[in-house]
Amino acid sequence: MRFRSIAVFLLLLGGGALDPLPAQRPDSAAPPPPEGRSLVEALTFPPLHFDPPPVREAVVLGVPVFHLDDPTLPLVDLLVRFEGGYAHFPRADYAAATAFPSLLRGGGTRARTPDEVEAGIDSLAIQLTFGSGGGALSSTLNTLTETLDPAVQLWWSMLLEPRFDTAVVEVWRGRRLEEARRSGDDPATFAFAHFNRIMYGDHPIGWDLTADDLGPAALTPARLRALHRQIVCRENLTLGVAGDLRWEQAVERLRRLIEQVPPCPAPLPPQPEPTLREGGGVVVIPRPLEQSVVVLAHATDLTQADDPAWFASRIGDAILGTGGLSSRLMSRLRTREGLVYSASSFWTTPREHPGLVGVTTRTAPGTTTAALRLTLEMLEEMTRTAPTPTEVAEAVAEQVNGFVFAFDSPATIVARRMTYHALGLPDDWLERTVAGTAAVTPEAIREVFGAHLDPSRMTILVVGDPDRLDAPLETLGVGPVVVIDPATPSAPSGSPRSRR
Amino acid sequence: MNGRAVMALALALALAAVLLPRAVRAQPDAPTPRSGLELPVREVVLDNGMRFFLLPRPGAPTVAFVVQYRVGGVDEAPGTTGLAHLLEHLLFKGTTTIGTTDVAAERAWFARMDAVHDSLRHERAAPTPDTARLAQWAARIAALEDSARAHTVPNAFDRILARNGARGLNASTTAEATTYHVELPANRAELWFALEADRMRSPVFRELHVERDVVLEERRMRVETTPGGLLHEALLAHAFTIHPYGQPVVGVPSDLEAITRAQVKAHHRRHYGARNATVAIVGDLDPDQMARWAEEYFGDLPPGDPPPLVTTREPEQRGRRDIRVVFDAGGPSALLGWRVPSIHDDDAPALAVLASLLAGGRSSRLHRRLVDQERLVTGVTASMGPGELFPRLFIIGVTPRSPHTVAEVEAALAHELEALRRTPPSPAEVGRVQRQIEAGRVRRLQSSLGLAFQLAGSASLLGDWRATFEFAERMAAVRPVDIQRVVERHFRDDRLTVVTLVPRTTPGEGAAR
Repeated sequence: MRFRSIAVFLLLLGGGALDPLPAQRPDSAAPPPPEGRSLVEALTFPPLHFDPPPVREAVVLGVPVFHLDDPTLPLVDLLVRFEGGYAHFPRADYAAATAFPSLLRGGGTRARTPDEVEAGIDSLAIQLTFGSGGGALSSTLNTLTETLDPAVQLWWSMLLEPRFDTAVVEVWRGRRLEEARRSGDDPATFAFAHFNRIMYGDHPIGWDLTADDLGPAALTPARLRALHRQIVCRENLTLGVAGDLRWEQAVERLRRLIEQVPPCPAPLPPQPEPTLREGGGVVVIPRPLEQSVVVLAHATDLTQADDPAWFASRIGDAILGTGGLSSRLMSRLRTREGLVYSASSFWTTPREHPGLVGVTTRTAPGTTTAALRLTLEMLEEMTRTAPTPTEVAEAVAEQVNGFVFAFDSPATIVARRMTYHALGLPDDWLERTVAGTAAVTPEAIREVFGAHLDPSRMTILVVGDPDRLDAPLETLGVGPVVVIDPATPSAPSGSPRSRR
Repeated sequence: MNGRAVMALALALALAAVLLPRAVRAQPDAPTPRSGLELPVREVVLDNGMRFFLLPRPGAPTVAFVVQYRVGGVDEAPGTTGLAHLLEHLLFKGTTTIGTTDVAAERAWFARMDAVHDSLRHERAAPTPDTARLAQWAARIAALEDSARAHTVPNAFDRILARNGARGLNASTTAEATTYHVELPANRAELWFALEADRMRSPVFRELHVERDVVLEERRMRVETTPGGLLHEALLAHAFTIHPYGQPVVGVPSDLEAITRAQVKAHHRRHYGARNATVAIVGDLDPDQMARWAEEYFGDLPPGDPPPLVTTREPEQRGRRDIRVVFDAGGPSALLGWRVPSIHDDDAPALAVLASLLAGGRSSRLHRRLVDQERLVTGVTASMGPGELFPRLFIIGVTPRSPHTVAEVEAALAHELEALRRTPPSPAEVGRVQRQIEAGRVRRLQSSLGLAFQLAGSASLLGDWRATFEFAERMAAVRPVDIQRVVERHFRDDRLTVVTLVPRTTPGEGAAR
């Protein structure tokens, strides 16, 4: 059990400590600057007096627990995370694992029908969330302190004793079948799903629910209960408590809750390691759309860690395309050329397997090739030339000065600590992030992009109307162009794949 | 304590907790607000008419800023649709001193490119436009934009805020309002005053011709490649044949291409005066300091003219309207819109409760019947729009589950409405819906930005920051017979417009499934 200080954080939040752009300030020889800018540049800011609240970390009956006492509001948030998402299980379990959040929320409990659960939620005025991803199942409860115990009792029974009401299961199945039929209605969602399939093949990241996944055998009570036993069990559990509940009041309640959670029947199966597509090239899925959706990326083996290269990748990615209007992609493709409404880069750095570095945008059919050509040029530039000191200073200042928003609510703070724990990151990761971010240099960014980004390796997906493009996609020079059937798009055959 | 009593207490406690600063709550004798109407909002009105609403609240040291101008799509004359939204984009381009190295040199290029644009507009309007000449002029405008750009500092407004740790810098334009918002670390709050005052006082509409293309891309994304966007635009266009609610806020392409810099300037001059601006500031703030900065930075702005009246009224609808929209979609969907009165009408609270009773969550009537029991649809929504101030639409959206059709869904929907005409809902059902609405409202107020939006919108559109809280109290007073009355009064077939999205089966053709 320990508390962490956030001394580095407080130091960096000092007023003006990270204001960049000294070169833009007026010098004494220059004529007096006009009023508006001079007013803004003359502003100085006092230090921000802020003591981030301490999060307590403990182990209760073998379960990691994170607790933040904040009596500001008479509200308590409880958060759970059970390791075990669809990526741990075979494809036959994909639908069942995907259905869990909806079925736990709406499928009733052993003692209560779905309608009775709904009435209980209504009368207690509680707010519940249920979610899942490839790696874990999560849920939160927000309740008034006044109704904490009955609220927790209801929520816990929904998690631990689900009824999996057959009518609710069937409604869920029918809705997902319809969504599969309509998977092309949102061109961006369609493009991202198919890009993942192209890049990851038959790995869980590349899966997308189809009619084949949703057959009668996919959601039988036996399958749902077997999967529930493997996921909702003690060794998979992490708990968080935030809000108006002192540790002394919380610990006995937590003990009673954890005692109800059965032990896991067996360790979770490991997630398979993906083998990503390599070799580059262009894939076109023809659709008669007024705007093309473009996604391009290649595999990268950079991993999230307390490593200068990782921090440099974050700041470099902000400069390239996650930094809003000021990013290079937006400045060039939107502000200067008017080719797009939005463009952003992404660089995923999973802890356990390779990720992706790339860009996504949307543009009219008649400007698609031009936008792609400019994008590839900007990526190439990131590998060759270090960003300017001003770009780096601005991106660092944005992150560090804005870190106070990481403390928006007690629940946010605890959820972040639970995520660090799940990812195997040190519990002072936030402080390390601030320090690591502040230390990033232009040359470090050039080095990490030079080492990990290669535009010639990009797989480019274009969802749109190939007959209305401004120029053939072959002219991009990144490999062959493959056109696949929009009805049954799949990974181009013979795509080489890489394994880290 | 029964469920309803628990809920009522819970909501009152939550409201008090969410809204009162820690120091105030620590005083045992301090009054506890039982409703939003008792919030410690400080109102500051400058001599020029600009209004500020200041609300300190507990939490992290951040401050949310929202400024709303009462101008939107309804203020656009035919032929200038999209002007308010384009102006919103251009107000991120900087001022006479921010975003430029030489504004006089920039303006010289503006004059030249605007002259070419004028020629382009005339050629486009010709009976048989010369496409080669159009291309030549478009290229010339692009070259002149490049020349002007030699004197600009791109995205300077955004960069200044970003490097100071700002979050969520953005804006939105609706049928009735244009709203700008951002959050800042509390120690940097003065930066907002300096930047926003400069933006109101000295905007420069640079990069106009490029930004026009950006908006056209936004339109393609939000409307032209999205079933929901296409349906919504078609519904409004056919339900409102005269009133400007029928015009798309994002604009139609031919109007966007024709808008001139002079029109943008005139629109700004007409609608962005101090008296048309309402500011809400919520978070870790000192109201006295905020009031001083308000006067210091905004006090010398000209008041401007009052917002112009929108006098056009939509004629009475004299029969059901059915529209089909063809799109490359996996199945049909539909929006059904009934003409209903504005938020000022006595029926408005009951209509708002009705929307939740019909489609607000899992226990709503339409969700239970259409989604859970008969499994006709994957989802159902109910809302009112596109604005609040004028007679509008009560809109129900449905997405049928294959093999069911829109017609089947509509029949079931008609049955539910008929049931409400015959028999009012039970007090328990109405009470449940009212508690859901109140709970959702309270939880939204946990966000400083959410509160700032509510205060600014309420004061700007409805005249008083308390108006939306008062409306919530009117919703809480709705009785079952009120629900029955508004269904009987407004849900008539001759007031209905139905827009159905029909999946394209072959190029250039649509067929209902």
